[in-house]
Amino acid sequence: MLIGIKDIAKLFAISVVTCCAAFVCTLFLNYNIDIVGIKDEITTPQGMVMYDAQVATGKVVAGIAGGCLVATTIVLLIFYVKNYIDSHGKELGILKALGYSDLSVAKHFWVFGVSVFAGAVIGYAAAALYMPTFYDIQNNMELFPQMKPEFHVSLVLYIIAFPTVFFMLLAVLYAFFKIKSPVLGLLRETQNVKFKVSKSDKGDFPFLTDLKKSTLKSRKILVFFVGFSAFCFSAMTQMSMSMDELASEAMSFMIISIGLILAFMTLFMSLTSVVKSNTKTIAMMKVFGYSQRECSGSILGGYRPISYVGFVIGTAYQYLLLRIMVDVVFADFENMPEFHFNFEALAISAVTFLAAYEMILYCYSKKISGQSVKSIMLE
Amino acid sequence: MIEAKEITKFYGKGESRFQVLKNISIKINDGDFTVILGASGSGKSTLLNTLSSLERPDSGSIFYDERDITTFSESELTKLRRDNIGFIFQQYYLLPNMNVDKNVKMGADLSGNKNYRSVIEAVGLGGKLRKYPSELSGGEQQRVSVARALAKNPKVLFLDEPTGALDEETGRQVLDYICALQNEYGFTIVMVTHNLNIAEMADTVIKMNSGKISEIYANETRKTAYEIGW
Ligand SMILES: Nc1ncnc2c1ncn2[C@@H]1O[C@H](COP(=O)(O)OP(=O)(O)OP(=O)(O)O)[C@@H](O)[C@H]1O
Ligand SMILES: [Mg+2]
Repeated sequence: MLIGIKDIAKLFAISVVTCCAAFVCTLFLNYNIDIVGIKDEITTPQGMVMYDAQVATGKVVAGIAGGCLVATTIVLLIFYVKNYIDSHGKELGILKALGYSDLSVAKHFWVFGVSVFAGAVIGYAAAALYMPTFYDIQNNMELFPQMKPEFHVSLVLYIIAFPTVFFMLLAVLYAFFKIKSPVLGLLRETQNVKFKVSKSDKGDFPFLTDLKKSTLKSRKILVFFVGFSAFCFSAMTQMSMSMDELASEAMSFMIISIGLILAFMTLFMSLTSVVKSNTKTIAMMKVFGYSQRECSGSILGGYRPISYVGFVIGTAYQYLLLRIMVDVVFADFENMPEFHFNFEALAISAVTFLAAYEMILYCYSKKISGQSVKSIMLE
Repeated sequence: MIEAKEITKFYGKGESRFQVLKNISIKINDGDFTVILGASGSGKSTLLNTLSSLERPDSGSIFYDERDITTFSESELTKLRRDNIGFIFQQYYLLPNMNVDKNVKMGADLSGNKNYRSVIEAVGLGGKLRKYPSELSGGEQQRVSVARALAKNPKVLFLDEPTGALDEETGRQVLDYICALQNEYGFTIVMVTHNLNIAEMADTVIKMNSGKISEIYANETRKTAYEIGW
């Protein structure tokens, strides 16, 4: 097989993300479908208000969680496929040189979708197991007539089948699109150097300055990914912390846990990729006697401002999103808690972010310094 | 002076563990041109990497003047390399997303060498400053890696098959240029090669055979690349 089990195992981040998404969506959508079934049993006008609020909350949570997470998954998946093709350019190029067609190579990439399937199944199963407890909690509040979780086939389709098929197709299509480049391009990794000679290239800067620039320029997707992961980190942590005013305790605990898991996940992955794609350069610089600080400063340091920008955008995004949700969806409800910008959440999120960011980079540069040059260069 | 005492090196674990360097002791004098000869797989590159601090031996010591570098920390080794050592690898190892000019500048900046373009000219790549490694032929890449090491003005230059990918004429030019620089600056050269003729250019020849030194001899006179008819 073209793509090994080991390569698929690397996609476990995607599984985690889809698992969370499937879990949240299953739980809330299942509850929403069930609650629609008992609408007629609600008699009091107060009950109806609560009912509307509940349905709206379910939609909001499933919408935000599902929407965010699907977007994240798309980015992750494309990123992985691209990375795989970049780092296996030689093998793919040789296959093409031997006469395999683009499609016959690209179709193997369907296995990347397996990660989505695995995550969705686990998430769905977890939600099914947790559902009785979740219903009990809701029942105990005695807002509505007692309910029991029902099984809905449509949810299995929406949460497991469709996403799996969608992501398998996405992986194959994207791979097809990437593999279409000429054989020699794949073999010689020219895609890495396809940037134009700009004015700054002609200037006479010290090597380290040049290095910082070209590191960023040569891997634009990584730049995007780092920014995106900072964006996710900031949006997810702050959003989950702010939402606890809008949701019940059990829910907000869940949302915060999921938010944190995802936040660390994306951040970890993006930084891992940054380090991995620059290991060779770092190793070579060490051989020549550049110090640890010079290496991480010029290679890993270039991504720092980008991550800060991502973080700021994420902050604004989550505020606007919640603001709109609260204003639009809950517009008709009285007694809704006022929604304000949560400065506490911002502070916590920012500090955690900085600490996590520097920690991960530090661990990696330590790890690189322990490896022999030969093993790194021949990887 | 560089002195190796009883160094051993193993690769692999368990069943497949095998000894690549078997109790090797050698002395390399300052300003000398030393060549390491031997069959493929005899451990030449490993010896070179160990001598040059890139790999640690499993036992034995390596002295740079009086200091045993096997006791050095990673950052002390980095400092040692920065101040003293230049490398030319068998596989070139250029930075793929930097052009020729910047690849060489990587070496030059460490010694504050502002005149590094002349080195690029000398290896015949003056017209390809803006090319990236993937746009160069194998031999051109090799010459970039030579220029990168020379531009650093090293005290000791380690070369692993620096002319392997070059035709005779270009190989001769590159070697003569390296020797001319050595005459001018007096640095030490340790070079691995398969080419018996090149051995005649050296002061000292070390022959290796499956992890051991089988012979060491000194040449009375050093020949130039042209004299050896190579
Ligand atoms: N990282 C490694 N792990 C395991 N074995 C290795 C490793 N590096 C080298 N070897 C083995 O050690 C032996 C010596 O390798 P070395 O690279 O020093 O040979 P060489 O004399 O430079 O050969 P050549 O002339 O072909 O470059 C070889 O048999 C090789 O298979
Ligand atoms: Mg070798």
